[in-house]
Amino acid sequence: MHIQYGKKLKSGPGHWGLLLLGFWAAIALAGFFVTPYAPDAYTGKAFLAPSSAHWLGTNDVGQDIFSQLMAGARTSLGVAVGASIASAFLGALLGAGGALVGGWVERLTMRMMDIGLVIPPILAAMLAAAYLQPSPVTLVGILAFFFWPGTGRILRAQTLLLRESGPVTAARTFGAGRGYLLRRHILPDLAPVLSAAMIHDARRAVFLEAGLAFLGISDPTVQSWGRMIQQALAFTYLDVWQWWLLPPGIAVTTLVLAFALIGTGLEETHASD
Amino acid sequence: MLQIEDLKVAYGTEEILHGISLTVRQGETLAIIGESGAGKTTLGLGLLRLAGDTATGSVQWQGQELLSLSDEELRDIRGRTAAMVHQNGGEVLHPLYTALDQVAEVVTVHFPVAQETAREKAAETLSRVGLAADRHGLHPHRLSGGEQQRVLLAMALVNEPALLIMDEPTSSLDPLSKAQILQVLGTALKGRANLLITHDLATAATVADRVAVMYSGRIVESGPCAEVFATPRHPYTRALLRAFPDMTTFKDIQCIPGHPERQVCGCAFHPRCSQRTEGCEASVPPLTLLQEGRLVACHRGGIVPMLEVVGLQKKLEGRTIIEDISLTLQEGETMALVGESGSGKTTLAKTLMGLWPADGGTFRIDGKDDWQRKHFYERIQLVFQNPKEAFSHRLSVGEIVREPLDIHNRGTKAEREEKVRRTLIDVDLPVTEDFLRRYPHQLSGGEAQRVAIARALILDPKLLIADEITASLDAGVQARVVRLLMRLQDVRGLALLFITHDIALARKISDCAIVLKDGRIVEAGLSSKVFSNPVHPYTRQLVEAAPQLHRG
Repeated sequence: MHIQYGKKLKSGPGHWGLLLLGFWAAIALAGFFVTPYAPDAYTGKAFLAPSSAHWLGTNDVGQDIFSQLMAGARTSLGVAVGASIASAFLGALLGAGGALVGGWVERLTMRMMDIGLVIPPILAAMLAAAYLQPSPVTLVGILAFFFWPGTGRILRAQTLLLRESGPVTAARTFGAGRGYLLRRHILPDLAPVLSAAMIHDARRAVFLEAGLAFLGISDPTVQSWGRMIQQALAFTYLDVWQWWLLPPGIAVTTLVLAFALIGTGLEETHASD
Repeated sequence: MLQIEDLKVAYGTEEILHGISLTVRQGETLAIIGESGAGKTTLGLGLLRLAGDTATGSVQWQGQELLSLSDEELRDIRGRTAAMVHQNGGEVLHPLYTALDQVAEVVTVHFPVAQETAREKAAETLSRVGLAADRHGLHPHRLSGGEQQRVLLAMALVNEPALLIMDEPTSSLDPLSKAQILQVLGTALKGRANLLITHDLATAATVADRVAVMYSGRIVESGPCAEVFATPRHPYTRALLRAFPDMTTFKDIQCIPGHPERQVCGCAFHPRCSQRTEGCEASVPPLTLLQEGRLVACHRGGIVPMLEVVGLQKKLEGRTIIEDISLTLQEGETMALVGESGSGKTTLAKTLMGLWPADGGTFRIDGKDDWQRKHFYERIQLVFQNPKEAFSHRLSVGEIVREPLDIHNRGTKAEREEKVRRTLIDVDLPVTEDFLRRYPHQLSGGEAQRVAIARALILDPKLLIADEITASLDAGVQARVVRLLMRLQDVRGLALLFITHDIALARKISDCAIVLKDGRIVEAGLSSKVFSNPVHPYTRQLVEAAPQLHRG
């Protein structure tokens, strides 16, 4: 069936997911250009309650919490987009490519995926991040390294199906080579599966980025929702948790939810094929 | 023995016969067949110098050179040792004399005998050719066409000539008169050298020992009659046979594309020939010996085999699916490959298409087995059973049909689109923008199958494998698709490997057939034989299970 994805995401859970994602994307984008205060600057008194000057008040060292939230959105979405694209690239190259080439190349890529799949990503990421220089770029690399086997495995299975499908067989009987098959038939037909895998990876990336930052395994100069939560937890005996702890918590939750909803929406699209 | 060497006959400046060489032995009948205008009649008349302004070459008859005889000497031969039976008895017979008188005249012209003796001899000959005694004294207009033809035959036979030239002796007769004349000829021709000129292939098949096919004033093929008719080697001979309605073949008659043209460079048949190459235009092919007694004048050595398979074997997961498959499919022919599901038909198709590697044996396409990938697929194409599965849901009709051209990077975008349009017209599909923009799920089954055929034909392949292409279509749409393929075969000389389990359909469209059971060929041969006289029990079973509308 000829599917128009845009149309399908205009209603149902996918629609709500897109709205939520759009909201956070807008905040993150705005964060690149303008924040009320520099996120790491001392802005005056500590522990200020929300006011028109400080929408979410200030923290223990007088930094503006709303500015930190915006900067955190930037980090979170940046890592999510980076990790899902890198993972999709590796997955397509090694998963789909391996399936298409076959032979020892396919066996090698399969073993690589098997190994990747049995390593628990959080533990490994903690170790890796601890030994490597923690920065958002390193984090994207580490996440992509642990995400791609999942993506690759799905793409491989799909490619094996597509390789034997009618249109691909037909194109072969017209004399098409591997490059043409990949470019014109396999990749376009992998798009739905690939997009679902990317959404899934993005969701996990948001969660892991926040989690690792919460555990302190992150670049201290880069703002993160995880570290905001971790710092706020020290002051739960004060009223500040309402505007310091809750907002980043809600942020993480809603962004993860946004990706989950989009994923569900796409799934429903496929189910109605 | 009649020996013709390089006979050329011209009317004014127009040469009709371009060098005919033939031999007719005593006791043998040679049929000259061909379309009207090929020069057959000119040949028959030319032998006795009855046609043409100039005749060169040599016609040796009983040690005499007929072309250099004086008119006097020729007159003596005509009607005495060499006689002619003309076509259209009504026009040749004199309306004022009775049948008996006209036959007797032939005797008295040549022999100094009494009128009575001549009439006796005439009456005896007329009776011998089957004209009842009470009709001998009638004038020609009182006689039927069959009877007139008998009178002409009697005139030719009355002097017991050693050479008999017959020009369309049966063509205008009804089937029963024709059968009677043929019966008479069967005995009358014995012991003489006979030249039968006819376009009626059935007459030739009945009485001739050898046959020579004439086209545009040249012999293009000759050989023993039965062999030539069973396995014609020249494309023109095959076309003639296919145009002839025959009780023993089930395939529909096919017309010869184009028209005979005079003044053609090179091989005269090349404008109408589906297997022509550049060389065919350059020179006239000589009549060359193909095998014992068989001569053919074709630059390509006769009809070329498009697909030759020898001992093909294919295993899947350790199990042998097809084994020891050998077959030859000629250019422009349809081979039906029948057998039940699981007999290995599709495996054979996929192996031939190069989708699966063969595990044994070889096959050659268009005479070669080491084609480069793209060139290979320019010659052989496959149409699948379920076209919609073979289309990408993302592509529109226009893009689907254009895809092979895109892969081969042929022409500019505009040229490709023009070619798509022409091919769609070829398969009876609309070429409106709306249709070109449709997606596969918006097509009906018949439309989708024709789009698939158009896509397979767009590279102008010479061999098309059709794998159960009509299995999912209703009879009306199936008829349309099949007629379409037959038409394309006429025009393009497409060789078709038609895979089907429908015996009734296979019988309608195929020239030859192969029956496959458990991956092996159990029966193979001409369709007319395989389907009407099946030998293998499995074939018999299939034929018995074939669809029938009328009980009993």
